[in-house]
Amino acid sequence: MAILELHDVTSGYGEVQILWGVSISLQKGSMTSLVGANGAGKTTLLRTIMGLNKAWSGQILFEGKDIHRLAPHTRAARGLVLVPEGRQLFTHMTVEENLLMGASPKRARADINRNLELVYDMFPRLKDRRNQKAGTMSGGEQQMLAVARGIMASPKVLMIDELSLGLAPFLVLQLFESLKKLRETGITVLLVEQNVQMALAVTDYAYVLAEGKIEIEGPSKVVASNPEVKKAYLGL
Amino acid sequence: MMDALIRSLIDGLLLGFVYGIAAMGLTLIWGVMNVINLSHGSLIALGMFSVYYLFVGLGIHPYIALVLTAVLGLIFGIIIYFIAVHRVINAPELSTLLATYSVNMMILGIGTAIFTTTPRNIPLDLGSIQFGDTVITMTRLIAAIISVGVAVGLFLFLKYTRPGRYIRAVTDNRDAAEIVGVPSAQVLALTFGLGTLLAAVSGGLIATFFPFTILSGETYELKSFVIGVLGGLGNPVGSLFGGLILGLIEGLVPMAMPTTWTPVLEFVLFVLILLVAPNGLFGGEE
Ligand SMILES: Nc1ncnc2c1ncn2[C@@H]1O[C@H](COP(=O)(O)OP(=O)(O)O)[C@@H](O)[C@H]1O
Ligand SMILES: [Mg+2]
Repeated sequence: MAILELHDVTSGYGEVQILWGVSISLQKGSMTSLVGANGAGKTTLLRTIMGLNKAWSGQILFEGKDIHRLAPHTRAARGLVLVPEGRQLFTHMTVEENLLMGASPKRARADINRNLELVYDMFPRLKDRRNQKAGTMSGGEQQMLAVARGIMASPKVLMIDELSLGLAPFLVLQLFESLKKLRETGITVLLVEQNVQMALAVTDYAYVLAEGKIEIEGPSKVVASNPEVKKAYLGL
Repeated sequence: MMDALIRSLIDGLLLGFVYGIAAMGLTLIWGVMNVINLSHGSLIALGMFSVYYLFVGLGIHPYIALVLTAVLGLIFGIIIYFIAVHRVINAPELSTLLATYSVNMMILGIGTAIFTTTPRNIPLDLGSIQFGDTVITMTRLIAAIISVGVAVGLFLFLKYTRPGRYIRAVTDNRDAAEIVGVPSAQVLALTFGLGTLLAAVSGGLIATFFPFTILSGETYELKSFVIGVLGGLGNPVGSLFGGLILGLIEGLVPMAMPTTWTPVLEFVLFVLILLVAPNGLFGGEE
């Protein structure tokens, strides 16, 4: 069953169109990756799904209902959660305050203690630093916090934009491990990732976005062995 | 001579606390939503009239009237936000400036028609207390204490409550606040309401010892700007200190020159600070 479906979504900035009729579908409980070159429109797509950018046309169905007119905070309240590119933390607030902010939606408030335990378990570093201002942490720690803040929202669909950007390899491995743990809790994940090889290895299904259109899609294993993908994104 | 100086200084300092919360109202709105609220002064004046009419008209004690005025200010501010500010909140700063300026003109226009410009005076005399050789007017002392209470209350609200956390989050990053589920427009409305509440309460307090008209707010708006720049726009704690500095000036000036020089000195200070430390003496919003 699809939990999130896009039909022919177009969007852009001002007069400039970036997305040219994107259709994707996320199966409930699955992990999907969205890959593509720099500037392909991946961030624009996630922002449009979240409502930070307006969809010019098309449909965005979340749990079967069209949400494309709802404000971002209403989408978040329904369980659609974005870990944005560039992290977008509350830099003047402490780590723990950021986590509590993540739990702003009503449906997440009941789970606050359980989720806090979960993310502190997943990222013990955050627990050590919980009274530190988010803006004063290292890039890796901030990325952990961004993911942790997303988890605090008890998401039904968690969209992560550039999970590993600028992180040391061991941290990337650690974050991917945490993702695997997350899927056991039953949430649906949409992953945008520079490290295409790794993304295809951990996800079930994949979309390749090029110049604002879905160019290739299929089970991640199949996409990974696609000659075009191999050449363009895997450097093989 | 010495007695007069000390008395004048104390009077000024007590007044400074009240100016501090007036400035906090201005600086809170600026810090959170980057809006310069040009209706600040007229909202201060409305606070004066609110306490006046609740007391003289309905016989409600001025300090209880002040609580009602706070509530009315909060509600009125939220209404102003949705009617005048919300539609231009994402527009360039000039638009919000014009929006609040037109609110100001409407309040002054309607206010002058209704209240005229005959000075009012709240007939409240609580006497004074004697500390050694100095005499302190009770209404001023109480106003200072209430102001400190309001400032501490605002601080605790911003720091420890959920709406307070939301306000800080929206200040920090409005998009991020939206994506974690914070209704940012409502948070901005609440902020405008709180800024208005602070203006109205400071006005109400000033009215317990100074005569006023609907046009009196302008003076205090000017002071709020000077304090805001002194303490750093967007820094509520700085506002309180800035208020004290302005209060001190107001206490000292009459010792050396006619009081009509006070605004001149304040403006000189304003320009100097802008030249020397544009982020305020106590640092701005970083
Ligand atoms: N705020 C913006 N205003 C105008 N154009 C933008 C903006 N953000 C991104 N773009 C343009 O949209 C295109 C897609 O960008 P983006 O969605 O960030 O791609 P990706 O995330 O795949 O690297 C790029 O050509 C980029 O220059
Ligand atoms: Mg991107």
